[in-house]
Amino acid sequence: MTLIECRGLTREYRKGDNIIRPLDDLDLDVPRGDFLALMGPSGSGKTTLLNLIAGIDSPTRGSLVIDGTNLANLSRNKLAAWRSENVGYVFQLYNLVPVLTAYENVELPLLLHPLDRRQRHERVRTALERVGISDRSDHFPRQLSGGQEQRVAIARAIVTDPAILVADEPTGDLDKPSAHAVMSLLKELNEELGKTIIMVTHDPKTTDWATRTLHLDKGRLAETGASLTHEQEALA
Amino acid sequence: MRVRQLPFNYAFRNLGRSGVRLAASLVGSSLVVLLILASGGFVRGMQLTLTQDAGMQDNVMILGAGSEEGVERSQIDASVDGIAAASIPGLKERAGVIYASPEIHAALPVRESAESDEDLSSVMRGVREVALLVHPEVEIVEGHLPRAGRDELMLGELAATRLGLPEDRVAIGQTLYFDDRDWTIVGRFSAPNTVMNAEIWLPLTDLQIATNREASLSCVIVTLDRATFADADLFAKSRLDLELTAIRESDYYASIAAFYGPIRIMIIVTAVLIASGGVLGGLNTMYAAFAARVREVGMLQALGFTRLAIVMNLTEESVFAAACGALIGATLGLVLLDGVAVRFSMGAFALAIDAPVLLAGILGGLVVGFIGAIPPAVRCLRLPITEALKSH
Ligand SMILES: Nc1ncnc2c1ncn2[C@@H]1O[C@H](COP(=O)(O)OP(=O)(O)O)[C@@H](O)[C@H]1O
Ligand SMILES: [Mg+2]
Repeated sequence: MTLIECRGLTREYRKGDNIIRPLDDLDLDVPRGDFLALMGPSGSGKTTLLNLIAGIDSPTRGSLVIDGTNLANLSRNKLAAWRSENVGYVFQLYNLVPVLTAYENVELPLLLHPLDRRQRHERVRTALERVGISDRSDHFPRQLSGGQEQRVAIARAIVTDPAILVADEPTGDLDKPSAHAVMSLLKELNEELGKTIIMVTHDPKTTDWATRTLHLDKGRLAETGASLTHEQEALA
Repeated sequence: MRVRQLPFNYAFRNLGRSGVRLAASLVGSSLVVLLILASGGFVRGMQLTLTQDAGMQDNVMILGAGSEEGVERSQIDASVDGIAAASIPGLKERAGVIYASPEIHAALPVRESAESDEDLSSVMRGVREVALLVHPEVEIVEGHLPRAGRDELMLGELAATRLGLPEDRVAIGQTLYFDDRDWTIVGRFSAPNTVMNAEIWLPLTDLQIATNREASLSCVIVTLDRATFADADLFAKSRLDLELTAIRESDYYASIAAFYGPIRIMIIVTAVLIASGGVLGGLNTMYAAFAARVREVGMLQALGFTRLAIVMNLTEESVFAAACGALIGATLGLVLLDGVAVRFSMGAFALAIDAPVLLAGILGGLVVGFIGAIPPAVRCLRLPITEALKSH
């Protein structure tokens, strides 16, 4: 069952007379419940693809249909509303609001939903428990470690219960143990909550957690050689 | 579609991000408010002084024909007060005294003492006791009315400012020097928001002698009761031999006020210019503050908050800081500026920071916060979300 369907997806930037094409005529299907890892050299278009799927960027050409909605046709405000319903974004640098506590950071996306304070409280508590950081709910981001910040950020991404989580190098700034904790958390969300996850990563190790890995190169999907190697490695 | 807003709490806490910026915002908007209060208080004080109260609408000045522009230049016969009192029917009257005050208005240089060689400018008014009836605003707050032939003076509250002397230099018992002798201050009076408040009053005959005009007056001021202005006007016009003209006291001062109109406009323009400087300063601090938050604003948009919601929140933050600054400025203004005496060519008056001026000041401060926030907020949001998320 396809959740995300990209057809001829193209993103271009015009720089004077030059046209830069970070995403070039890409076809991709992501089934519901997939945990997809995107790899590829720097500048290959991974973030560009992720941002299109997250609805914070619009394609120059092609169609991007998610759960029956073609994002290419949505107005700016419709797209914003769509995001708040359907996607949770996990950033490499967490992007927590420094003046808000962990609790308030997680509550932030819920303010876009018609919930009262009690309902929001229920959801925030559940999300914080889910990421195992309930005891830090009154802490400000500067009082948390990187791994804890990222877990708060993940709680913020899942608190609205979106079908899709996108994560752009979510462990890129973390030490090994923290990275491990974050990856196992994402795996849990994928398996237990059925979240469809699309994750950009530089670290081949993290692809072990994914159900499949795709490689991008110059805005196109490369043949899945690398992931084969990886599977072979795992078999060996 | 209803705009889902960011909580005010978020804007409020963002103020604490940089102490320096918060201080700059507070100082900036409080200075703008102070400035508006100072210039507004000046304009308002001058206006109040030259615009007579409703009670004064009943007073009519009888002057020499052709002297409507300046009572100091007017010269009429010394008998006009008696003639006017007898000829204009329906003047106010109490216990047999008709409200017709013969007066001399003179701008005489005064010195501190015989040894001093510095001329201090003053406005003197020679009066009889009836002046206190015709000018009910005048209240003797200390001492008594000067008595004729004893070289005595009575000074208004702002007379010291007008003379450029310290307050204690015009206390009761002190002396001032003019017409080759010392005069003793025996009384102090208060006549708030009138030109009289900055005057020196003395007995009519004494001032007549000092100005060598024993047989003349500057004007007679009468208070109407049943009579109308037309009655006083008719009297002035019918006595061709006396060469008189009648003018309402309120109209007389209104024409002086009109003369100072351009100065008021200049002051207001200057205030607006300096306040614009405040706006530029506000813009500057806000550009810096919001520029540091581009990535965060990108994140908020990625969550689904609209640009409008974010602009509103950023504006709330700036306006709230400005409001706090405005309160500080308004408090300082009320404490430091209200009632402060200013010297001016036509006399002296007190800065008047009343409700309209206060309101204008506080609104000005808020506007600084508002205008200072919009362009930086808009600039902060102009970047596409994907770009904003990449910034550091
Ligand atoms: N706003 C932009 N304007 C011009 N070029 C851009 C813009 N955003 C991205 N690019 C270019 O697109 C290419 C792919 O970028 P990106 O998707 O961020 O790569 P990555 O795979 O490292 O995440 C890069 O060459 C980048 O320079
Ligand atoms: Mg990238």
